[in-house]
Amino acid sequence: MTPFLNSFMISLLFVGGVYVVAVLERWSMTGNVNWGGPARSFLLLFVQEEIKTRKHDKVFFETAPILFIGVILLTISILPFSRGSVIVNLGTGALFINAALVYVMVSLLMAGWAVNGVYAMVGGWRALAQLIAYSMPVVMALTATVMRAESMFLIDIVESQQSLWNVLYQPVGFILFYISALAITFLPPFDLPVAEGELAGGVWADLTGARKLLFRLGRLALVLTLSVAVVVLYLGGWMGPWLPDFVWTFLKSLLVAASFFTIGRFMPRIRHDHLLEYNWKYGVPLALFNIFQVGVVLLL
Amino acid sequence: MELLITALIIAAVLFGIGLYGALSQTNLVMIMMGIELMLGAAMVNLVAFWRYLHPEAFSIQMFVLVAMTVMALEGAVGFAIATQRFRTSGSVEMEESAELKG
Amino acid sequence: MISIQLILLIIFGLAAIWFGWRVFMTSSMVRSALSLLASMVAIGALFLVMEAEFLGVLQIMMMGTEMSIMAIFMMMYMMDPGGLGNMDMTHQKNVSIAAGVAVTVLVTGAAIFADWGTIATQVPSPHEQIRLLGMEILKRSMMIFETAGVTILTGMIASIAVALSIKNNAKK
Repeated sequence: MTPFLNSFMISLLFVGGVYVVAVLERWSMTGNVNWGGPARSFLLLFVQEEIKTRKHDKVFFETAPILFIGVILLTISILPFSRGSVIVNLGTGALFINAALVYVMVSLLMAGWAVNGVYAMVGGWRALAQLIAYSMPVVMALTATVMRAESMFLIDIVESQQSLWNVLYQPVGFILFYISALAITFLPPFDLPVAEGELAGGVWADLTGARKLLFRLGRLALVLTLSVAVVVLYLGGWMGPWLPDFVWTFLKSLLVAASFFTIGRFMPRIRHDHLLEYNWKYGVPLALFNIFQVGVVLLL
Repeated sequence: MELLITALIIAAVLFGIGLYGALSQTNLVMIMMGIELMLGAAMVNLVAFWRYLHPEAFSIQMFVLVAMTVMALEGAVGFAIATQRFRTSGSVEMEESAELKG
Repeated sequence: MISIQLILLIIFGLAAIWFGWRVFMTSSMVRSALSLLASMVAIGALFLVMEAEFLGVLQIMMMGTEMSIMAIFMMMYMMDPGGLGNMDMTHQKNVSIAAGVAVTVLVTGAAIFADWGTIATQVPSPHEQIRLLGMEILKRSMMIFETAGVTILTGMIASIAVALSIKNNAKK
């Protein structure tokens, strides 16, 4: 197919993927599949009146949603959907994913501080602790995949999985990246910063209208982006039998996203100190062990 | 040549601003921000020398990595000292820390 | 000779200088910390313009985490985090302005009047750079790297030991 048709199909599939992820999120919270739900919520938030709190911090109030969406768009542009379809084939692609996730954290901090409300501020600090903590296993698991591919190009990382997918070569790394992806997009069971029952809505408590729409939509796009990242790094990217390349990428990433929401539906919310304990006491040593194991297997 | 001199002048101005901040602020956290600006300016200088004079010498990039490590470490130790100072005397103003005891 | 690299250097350099200036001129504490973050991101962009891609991405990533931690520490320890009261928290202002200006003029003079030799034009590609940096770390600079590792461990233990609260009955 011509490159233009390819990129058009990929963008269409991505927008469709975000819609499916929205339906899945509603299923994970209520239990029934409602195909018209996301469209109605989108229209409702789009026309809702924008209420600004008293003495909010003007610079951060405007900047936080834009930074959130901008970072997600940058991450999408470096992920390869098939061998020829990557917008920017960055030489340090694997490190860039982690750099972009750090700015998701900065935008949540800004959003929590800007609205000048107690619940939002405490939700913002909790989000800061959670996202710093779970960025550490991400960068170490990424290092192990880069070790196998001997290059930081994301296309090379997929090519290096020709013989054996990384999920079987580095299972510990896959589990750590999967759990960290759940925690970084603050999905249940890790959703303390934005939980409805916790801090009356957390970071998003005082936002209405277009800003809340940007944050919720951005979070769903972040879920899909991280699913594509899991597929590219661990599940063999676009490799598969008789369908075209990018269709395999989307199928696999929608499966990963569905598994995220299934776990969220059936597990209770994890408490803040348990969350941090699991990461620093068990997650980081396991990630270091993963690097050691991959190094030993590579040298043998 | 003007590329190198532009980069060096930018680093010089950043260093001057960092020095002003480190000398004029009374709060420990703001002094640390001045020090971080000075280290950032030094790193800009190093990368300019690498790119425009010796792109084959990668020990310069190693030096930049060590400088980044130093930035993170002095932040960590500085905040630990600020925490202990806040616990014993209730503020981190450096004007009140003139005595060695207490 | 105006090239695209010179224009980008000047734009990001002015952004870094302006955000660095705003760090000390604003009275809201979180704005101060995040303005320092913007200055560091501009410095990282300068690295990217000067074709040191790995160092640029590394700088942008590390400074995000570090400045967010600095924001929360400023909230904890400073007297007016919201910045709604206008307090001037500086001392020896004339001395520090004189010192800053003197150092800037000295370094600029050294930069303009020194003889730098020939300017190199061939830079390795980013993939080559990462590979050569790795080779450099593990061959010639191995000792420096290990010393840095041990220093980081010492720093971690030292900061935890300093920040522990000693609950002494005699102290109360």
